[in-house]
Amino acid sequence: MNELHELAQLLEQGQRQRVAALTQELLGKGVGPQTILNEGLIAGMAVVGEKMRGGEMYLPEVLQAASAMHASLGILKPHLLRAGAKPLGRILMGTVKGDMHDIGKNLVGIMLQGAGFEIVDLGLNVPPQKFIEAINAHSPSIVGMSAMLTTTMLNMKTTIDAIAAAGLRSNVKVIVGGAPVSQKFADEIGADGYARDAVLAVDKVKQLLDTAAWSMPTERLTD
Amino acid sequence: MNRRLEQALNCRSSDRFPFLPAIYEHKAWFVGETPSRVCRDVGLFTTAVLAEYERVQPDALTIGLDVYNVEAEAVGCRVTYYGGDDTSIPAVAPEGAVFQGSEDVASLKMPDPKKDGRMPLNLEVARNVTRVLGREVPIRGAVSGPFSMAAHLVGPEHLFMLTVTHPALVKDLIAFSSEVIKRYGRAFIELGCGVVIFDSQASPELLSPQMYRDFVLAPTQSIINHFQQCGLLHVPLIIGGNTTKILDSYLETGGNNILCDARAEVQQFVERCSKARRAFRRNMDSADFLQRTPEELHQRALRTLEESRDYAGFILGTGVVPYGTPLANLVAIREALQEHKHSE
Repeated sequence: MNELHELAQLLEQGQRQRVAALTQELLGKGVGPQTILNEGLIAGMAVVGEKMRGGEMYLPEVLQAASAMHASLGILKPHLLRAGAKPLGRILMGTVKGDMHDIGKNLVGIMLQGAGFEIVDLGLNVPPQKFIEAINAHSPSIVGMSAMLTTTMLNMKTTIDAIAAAGLRSNVKVIVGGAPVSQKFADEIGADGYARDAVLAVDKVKQLLDTAAWSMPTERLTD
Repeated sequence: MNRRLEQALNCRSSDRFPFLPAIYEHKAWFVGETPSRVCRDVGLFTTAVLAEYERVQPDALTIGLDVYNVEAEAVGCRVTYYGGDDTSIPAVAPEGAVFQGSEDVASLKMPDPKKDGRMPLNLEVARNVTRVLGREVPIRGAVSGPFSMAAHLVGPEHLFMLTVTHPALVKDLIAFSSEVIKRYGRAFIELGCGVVIFDSQASPELLSPQMYRDFVLAPTQSIINHFQQCGLLHVPLIIGGNTTKILDSYLETGGNNILCDARAEVQQFVERCSKARRAFRRNMDSADFLQRTPEELHQRALRTLEESRDYAGFILGTGVVPYGTPLANLVAIREALQEHKHSE
């Protein structure tokens, strides 16, 4: 449908108001919320992700696109819930203790949300205990941790160890990322996955969920 | 007087390449203290810088522990400090930003480096260290770059959004930040120190090369030009991440001793900096400095030095050294520099 393609393009351009208006218009015409999500928003964010990786889009433009996506999601959410739509999985995310950088983490959250996942964002400077409490409260499939500093990246291991000590390690897969983090470091600290950028994070999450041996909690969507 | 760095900045050979490890929060480790305590205590901070010099023997010292916070805090941003034995690095959280985005930039307070925030403390440390070390080693005050300071004032993500929605406001914020930076840097210069400008929020990992030119280049040129008029011959400009895409702009800023971070393309830097007769600092990746052995780091340093192609404007550096990095690891890198000289 041309209008869904237009929605994807407007999202890519970060046209928040026009994306919101077109979302309303499509719903009014009887287009299903899941169709709007899949063929409009997710399709648009996929292009944004590819352009970001290719150096055609940078953070300011990606944030604009994300803002447009959130405007549309806000309209779609009650319709999706009524229709019984389910996200692909629930991801708990946070920047580890001592680290106040959240742009990278937010970017990953945007791309995951844009790919159809539900995000529970714990914010920044998150101590291990808060991760544990959130795992108990939200039963995520995956826990994503971010660190921007060579000093704070070590708190990823502290957090993974704390999750294990709380008896929750087998309940979740852990994915890590951030400027100083590498696959080697991820392996050393016992993470299940590492992604170099936000687009690869989506691929990694999908890969981890494909191999996950548990049923994904999908009963609700969050903002 | 240490002439090794001066020679490199003039793209002239000396006994060996200079060593400029990025030691900021790790300064606190040298005195067995936390970054939050050291950055707020003149005595501890001074002792830490002197201990860094004695043990690591870098070819220049930087007065700055929680770089980027100082100017923003002096304007009114709230820095989060940590108590007890928590060695986390003080930082301005997004909610600590002083500017919300809807008010007039003119309403922001222009800080006085002699009075506001921790500017006087940092200047006092510079004065103390200069008094002890004299002209033995270059001493440079750390100052924010204009984009990074603006990012702290309004919150980084907010600033990136504003570059698209309210570009004129971003330019106003950057202009305000530039004036703060000029005043703070000038105060270091009046003490006989140099300055180092840090502007990693303007990295092309976040901001497009075109946006760098549109928003950041001219204000940075203005700041560097101001410091040169105040008497500095060389003004280092540090932008982290892979800056290869903005290398032309980077050179146009007028900065000397620019950064070729671990992910940047070193051969591009060698070729273009040699044409422009500029020095650059090649960083070793410091992500695993805590895990590697001295022998491994020694070998890595030798490999990094091979990348220099013996360009006289080459400086060996590191990414930010993590708090708690064993001294032996840094000594191993310095020894590789000495060994490289002998192998020529």
